[in-house]
Amino acid sequence: MPATDTAVRIADMDKYYGSFHALKNINLDIRKGEKIVVCGPSGSGKSTLIRCINKLEDYHAGSINVLGTELDDNLDHIDEIRRETGMVFQHFNLFPHMTILENCTLAPILVRKQKREEAEAVAMEYLHKVKIPEQADKFPGQLSGGQQQRVAIARALCMKPEIMLFDEPTSALDPEMISEVLDVMVSLAEDGMTMVCVTHEMGFARQVADRVIFMADGEIVEQGTPEQFFDNPQNERTRTFLSQVLGH
Amino acid sequence: MAKTYHRPTLLDHVRTRYFATRLDTAMSVLFGAITLWILWSLLNWAVLDAVFSAADKELCGHDAGACWSVIDARWRLILFGLYPFEEQWRSAIACAAIVLVTALSCVPWFWNARRLPVLWLTGFAVFYVLMAGGYFGLKEIPPQSWGGLSLTIFVFAAVAIIGMPLSIVFALLRRSELPWIARTMGLVIDTIRSLPLLSIMFTFAIVLPFVLPGWLIGDKLYRVIVGYALFFACYQAEIIRGGIQALPAGQEEAAKALGMSYWHRISYIVLPQAFRNALPPTINQFVITFKETSLVVIIGFFDVMASGNAAFGTAEWSFAHIEVYSFVALIFFVFVFALSRYGAYLERRLAVASR
Ligand SMILES: Nc1ncnc2c1ncn2[C@@H]1O[C@H](COP(=O)(O)OP(=O)(O)OP(=O)(O)O)[C@@H](O)[C@H]1O
Ligand SMILES: [Mg+2]
Repeated sequence: MPATDTAVRIADMDKYYGSFHALKNINLDIRKGEKIVVCGPSGSGKSTLIRCINKLEDYHAGSINVLGTELDDNLDHIDEIRRETGMVFQHFNLFPHMTILENCTLAPILVRKQKREEAEAVAMEYLHKVKIPEQADKFPGQLSGGQQQRVAIARALCMKPEIMLFDEPTSALDPEMISEVLDVMVSLAEDGMTMVCVTHEMGFARQVADRVIFMADGEIVEQGTPEQFFDNPQNERTRTFLSQVLGH
Repeated sequence: MAKTYHRPTLLDHVRTRYFATRLDTAMSVLFGAITLWILWSLLNWAVLDAVFSAADKELCGHDAGACWSVIDARWRLILFGLYPFEEQWRSAIACAAIVLVTALSCVPWFWNARRLPVLWLTGFAVFYVLMAGGYFGLKEIPPQSWGGLSLTIFVFAAVAIIGMPLSIVFALLRRSELPWIARTMGLVIDTIRSLPLLSIMFTFAIVLPFVLPGWLIGDKLYRVIVGYALFFACYQAEIIRGGIQALPAGQEEAAKALGMSYWHRISYIVLPQAFRNALPPTINQFVITFKETSLVVIIGFFDVMASGNAAFGTAEWSFAHIEVYSFVALIFFVFVFALSRYGAYLERRLAVASR
């Protein structure tokens, strides 16, 4: 049983795609309120790792425990964990046939059994927080990429999750929209949310992260505070990667 | 000198499109003349030289015009078949009920997984009670005596009501994560789709009674409808599956990540979008289904096509087959055209909603 202040505990976890060993012996503890940034070269398994935490991907050995619930084949456990973890995707994945407000209220009404008025009030509150309350009655296709991603964050928050997972939330955005999304994420971090972010925004990592995790070839190669990680990387591959993304 | 832009007028348009070169002009004049001549002849035949009332039957054949007297005299046979004459008002109201339900389905208020089925089941129940009778002091009239347009509408509506939910179930089973379910369903769908509709109708009408236990046999009409609905469902299932496959994988993932259950994901995220994607082929499928109801003639039913044949089957009207067929064609045209216009309207509307 993990300590009560542990949000996620991953132990000796392995994941395969067919015969391809995508994640190798992952061990990772995440405290409640901790902000983690995961980075690494393309194909290193970053997305796979965070998608295992809410069982969008199966894992094949070891164990994952989220907020005291064992992530196994028990459907109740899976539902329980998904209710408590929000996820934001690279390509937003808003529901195009529903308005922004409906996107935000659907899951609270169906899954949390909230009344419509209550769900709408909560949704408007979060749409205010991500600074687009005036778009509530539009459809996703009528919004810019940055606005859509902020709606996606609000939609996840409406479920009042304990943990937020971000999979490259800004990498499908035009440069001028990146900061509006990062600003929302920073303010979320300031509110004490537990966050696991896959991102290549190193400025964001320095400002917000408690810990930076570097992955390569399905393994966690190095981890540490942003200061250790950026100013004094230990591993050769980390140094190579940093010189590429930081451009020196 | 500055060039100014003139908005092209209709005259400019005609000139550039049809009279640009000498050859263009010659072609336009030639085909224009032929078209006018055809339209004029049709108008003469159908209206100007035509005889309309049954009382004027003697006038038929003197001019070259159409003899609509046959429709005036026999329209009840064409619309209601062998349904007892003094009860035909029931058949008329029943048809009107289905037409009303179809019209109401165009109202967006009904577009919802609960209201639409309720609407259709209600309309269908009204239709059935009126046609079959046996309740509310209505004389009982067995399906063998149903006929004409009301039979065609009955078969069509019943096939749609049974076939549509069935097709959704088929499509979902074919996408099942359990390989043996998915593969069995695929085999069933592909088998039925590779059989001609006619052979399926025959099997259900004639062969099935030998195999089924007595209490399951039911009336021949219902067996044909079940067979037809199965055929419809297999085609429609593939259409829906295509609509589902066109969805980005991220849609279901986002719904999963929000903690939504399988049924919630299917009914709120997957199917509504799949139906949008699949709308044009779905309307097309309905059109085909409506037209192919005529095949029930071969099993011995008296649909609108067969009752049309009967309308000029007597010596008295045997010369008037062109008029009768034109009338039946007009009926089919009205239904099919309305259906496809409705499809086009839906598409435009949904395009606005998801833009
Ligand atoms: N569904 C899948 N089937 C087979 N292989 C997969 C699948 N998804 C990912 N992989 C492979 O697993 C490895 C890790 O993929 P993953 O998407 O986790 O990488 P990533 O670190 O997120 O990369 P990127 O920065 O490009 O998003 C890659 O080599 C990829 O090709
Ligand atoms: Mg990735």
